[in-house]
Amino acid sequence: MSADGTQTMEAGSSTEAPPVFSVRNLWKVFGPKADRVPDGPLAELSPDDLRKEAGCTVAVRDVSFDVRQGEVFVVMGLSGSGKSTLVRCLTRLIEPTSGAIAIDGEDVVGMDRGRLRDLRRHRAAMVFQHFGLLPHRTVLDNVAYGLEIQGVGKAERRAKAMEMVEKVGLAGLEGRRPTQLSGGQQQRVGLARALAADPEVLLFDEPFSALDPMIRRDMQEEVVRLHEDEGRTMVFITHDLSEALRVGDRIALMRGGRIVQCGTPEEIVGSPADDYVREFVRDVPREQVITVRRAMRPATGGEAESGPALAPATTVADAIEAVARTGSPARVVDEGRCLGVVDHKSLLRVVAGLDRVERAAA
Amino acid sequence: MSAATSPAKPTPSAKPAKPAMPARPGKTAAPAPGRATDADASAATDGRSLLTLLNRYRGLRKLLLLAVAAAVLVPLADARWGSGSWPGALTVGLDEPLGKVSDWIIDNRDSHWVFLYFFGHISNAIVTSVHAVYVVLLALGWAGVTAAATLLAWRVAGVKVAATTLASLAVCGLLDMWVPTMRTLALMAVAVAASVVLGALLGLAGGLSDRMFRVLRPVLDTMQALPAFAYLLPIVLVFGIGVAPAVLATVVYAAPPMARLTALGLRGTDKGVLEAVASLGATGRQRLLTARLPLARRELLLGVNQTIMMALSMAVIASVIGADGLGDRVYQALSTVDVGSALAAGVPIVLLAIVLDRTTAAAGERVGTETQGKGGQRWALVAVVTAAVAVLSRAMGALSWPDGWTVAIAAPVNDAKDWMVDHLYSGVPGIGGTADWAAHYTGWVLDPLRDGLQGLPWWGALLIVAALAWLIGTWRTALTAVLALGAIGVLGRWESSMDTLSQVLAAVAVTLVLGFAIAVGAARSRRTERVLRPVLDVFQTMPQFVYLIPVVALFGVGRAPAAAAAIVYALPAVVRITSQGLRQVNPGAMESARSLGATSGQQLRQVQFPLARPELLLAVNQAVVLVLSVVIIGGLVGGGALGYEVVFGLAQGDLATGLMAGVAIACLGLMLDRVTQPTKARAGKGA
Repeated sequence: MSADGTQTMEAGSSTEAPPVFSVRNLWKVFGPKADRVPDGPLAELSPDDLRKEAGCTVAVRDVSFDVRQGEVFVVMGLSGSGKSTLVRCLTRLIEPTSGAIAIDGEDVVGMDRGRLRDLRRHRAAMVFQHFGLLPHRTVLDNVAYGLEIQGVGKAERRAKAMEMVEKVGLAGLEGRRPTQLSGGQQQRVGLARALAADPEVLLFDEPFSALDPMIRRDMQEEVVRLHEDEGRTMVFITHDLSEALRVGDRIALMRGGRIVQCGTPEEIVGSPADDYVREFVRDVPREQVITVRRAMRPATGGEAESGPALAPATTVADAIEAVARTGSPARVVDEGRCLGVVDHKSLLRVVAGLDRVERAAA
Repeated sequence: MSAATSPAKPTPSAKPAKPAMPARPGKTAAPAPGRATDADASAATDGRSLLTLLNRYRGLRKLLLLAVAAAVLVPLADARWGSGSWPGALTVGLDEPLGKVSDWIIDNRDSHWVFLYFFGHISNAIVTSVHAVYVVLLALGWAGVTAAATLLAWRVAGVKVAATTLASLAVCGLLDMWVPTMRTLALMAVAVAASVVLGALLGLAGGLSDRMFRVLRPVLDTMQALPAFAYLLPIVLVFGIGVAPAVLATVVYAAPPMARLTALGLRGTDKGVLEAVASLGATGRQRLLTARLPLARRELLLGVNQTIMMALSMAVIASVIGADGLGDRVYQALSTVDVGSALAAGVPIVLLAIVLDRTTAAAGERVGTETQGKGGQRWALVAVVTAAVAVLSRAMGALSWPDGWTVAIAAPVNDAKDWMVDHLYSGVPGIGGTADWAAHYTGWVLDPLRDGLQGLPWWGALLIVAALAWLIGTWRTALTAVLALGAIGVLGRWESSMDTLSQVLAAVAVTLVLGFAIAVGAARSRRTERVLRPVLDVFQTMPQFVYLIPVVALFGVGRAPAAAAAIVYALPAVVRITSQGLRQVNPGAMESARSLGATSGQQLRQVQFPLARPELLLAVNQAVVLVLSVVIIGGLVGGGALGYEVVFGLAQGDLATGLMAGVAIACLGLMLDRVTQPTKARAGKGA
């Protein structure tokens, strides 16, 4: 299952930019003598058996993936699936039990304290679910905190922090203390603090789970906007599927410490790797995720010549609007070439979920 | 009740009882499916064998084990050493060797290198610092000190506390107690500074290292459970009588809360914040300085507050080993039963306690809410005004409190006391009199209890202690308690310890009855609580020593006044802990009990008391610890037993006797604490 995801990913990565994070066969086991679990006979046991046999809990189980330059890589799973442990292993806030992690080709697991500190200070900054702000400092000093521990001078770090405070929309509140802010505002401070060090990668650990739904939506849009503006690489942990679909370029779905499937939102929703994923994505409004590339059928007769033209990446929802307006099938056109057509029937099949039944049967 | 709490799944041993079900046709004639578990449960209770009982009540299993052990050991012990008091064959006479050690120390204090180059330097440094602080206070003059203290209180705690400070210092002066007050303050300043530094360092070690914390925690817990008197003798043995040992005893007594709260504050830092700080690449030192210490500020200030209160309490008690100041005045006055003079010195102690507590507590509450800037200016203002007032009063030649501004209260108070002796001690129609009550309490409660305890076979006492400690705690606490009690016997202090124990038990019983009653009242009525809270606040801040003054006035000397002082001292803590526990009971549980139509008595018995069990146990523990500490001090007002032996040892220079009594006190404290120790985390000492 996970091999499937890895393959698609590696096929893609050969043509694009080199991976920012490259993770191979990562294990994290909690408990006594944890290091004997990976690569041993215990590795095959189910979590319950392992707890009984060795008193160990496996949080991350033989996980491999790459995070590409400039993408938003989402790790999704229910609570207890190991996703939060996984993201902490990336900067060794939790020491991995075994496996390899590389950032820009540089080994993370072997880093000494100084280099690791350097990694955390300049290359990967994290945003936490419960914010982790210092209650005795003002907003501005919280944002400047990362620069302060790097040894940046007071005037410089305050100027930089002020810039970040404005960037996340908190101008005017820089003199407040975290306890005087709403949850959404506090998380903006957390975001600004992470951005202040201008890191190569931003790591988000369920950043918006503690927020109200309305605020959550605002913050998700903020992240999407930030990503579009700066193109910064992001690793985003969430248990919320709609959030994953909204912000993610690619999604890794975790269960019981393993990556069950890794792919684009469309791949996850359109072709679930197993029943677990299928169950997981069952309630997703498919027409908003699946594109016409997946819904189209070959053109017959004169269909390739007439009707509205759509790009292959158009969602089914948008295609429905075009088809309904003209009343005729729409062409899927890529660089002037007609790849196929979508009509009422093929679009409705997506909405009704019939396409996945066929795929599953096939 | 037990049917409802028994598990729905029948235990293996309950299974054979199942056939008994049809024997009760009325209930099980038409068993509805929903009733099945109900029936199972009742079957389980019907047929509970000894084994199920043992499984359910683990305490019973412990008792049974203990009973078996006792059945083997007791006849042996009885045959070998006999019943009754602790057998002489099992005591080790330490008096003589200790006396030799004491003599050797006294002989060599001025010549041996350990004293010359180590203890001597410590002693000199302390004396010098206390003197330096005293000189500074004198140089400021009464006006300067008052201005400084008032402004400081205003800056830290606001106008109200500043006014209290001003009034309190004025009263100290009016009572002609200015000089003793300054002496006590000087001694305390040095002791508090040392305690805070020492405590903070220990706390830092305990906060940062798990191993250190595991070692420190039981030590600190035990130290906080021991009466102040237990610390005096070993220090006197090495340092003699004087200011230096008084300061040292105060430091030893006052440092544990600081260490404890520092460690707990550092360990209690929000894990999320620490992780976030680590994720930004902070070094260990940066993490400590920018996150852990600032986040623990509230605990640190609370630690300072508790340390100051403990230091005041001990600085006053340390008058028996040579601390001068207010405590000494009280001590001298009490030894001649001069209640008027004792009160004149006691009032400043109480006022000092209130001012110090309010000021430092307010500092702790204000943490995190202060506005930025302006702070420096205000502090500068405080310093400037103080200096100006000091210079001005010096120029006017009014450094010491003006002679004409004093009110002699000793004589009128003594007159009032004499009137009380004449009119209230006995012969009040219908209710008797205070002396009658004291006599009855001594004759009807204390004497039978003491005789009973002293007549109890020694192995019986050990068994009872073991059983109690094991039921409430673990086998470890039981072992500690038994060993502590055994040590008392081995040291040959069995009789006097049983005397002290009888006083403690009687006073604890009264305290708990009164305390629980008041607490139930306070938990039920908001108004009672509002009235009670400031009273409790004041009573909890007062040093143990001052409670002796009013009880001597009311009851004369003896064991009854000591018990009265102990009860009054322990009552506030018991009331506070219990009423808090009762009020914290889950409102949902209360609501559901009310909705089922429970009367208020039923609510109390069936919901509030069971749910507040940890707090009730804690209240018992605190009552025992606090009562013991005052019963021991009661040796100063005729309480006899261990406390008197310490005082006697000090007064006669018979350090061996005093030291043994001190060790016995420590053992008794340890034993009582362990026997009543709830297994959960314990809160700080009441004071």
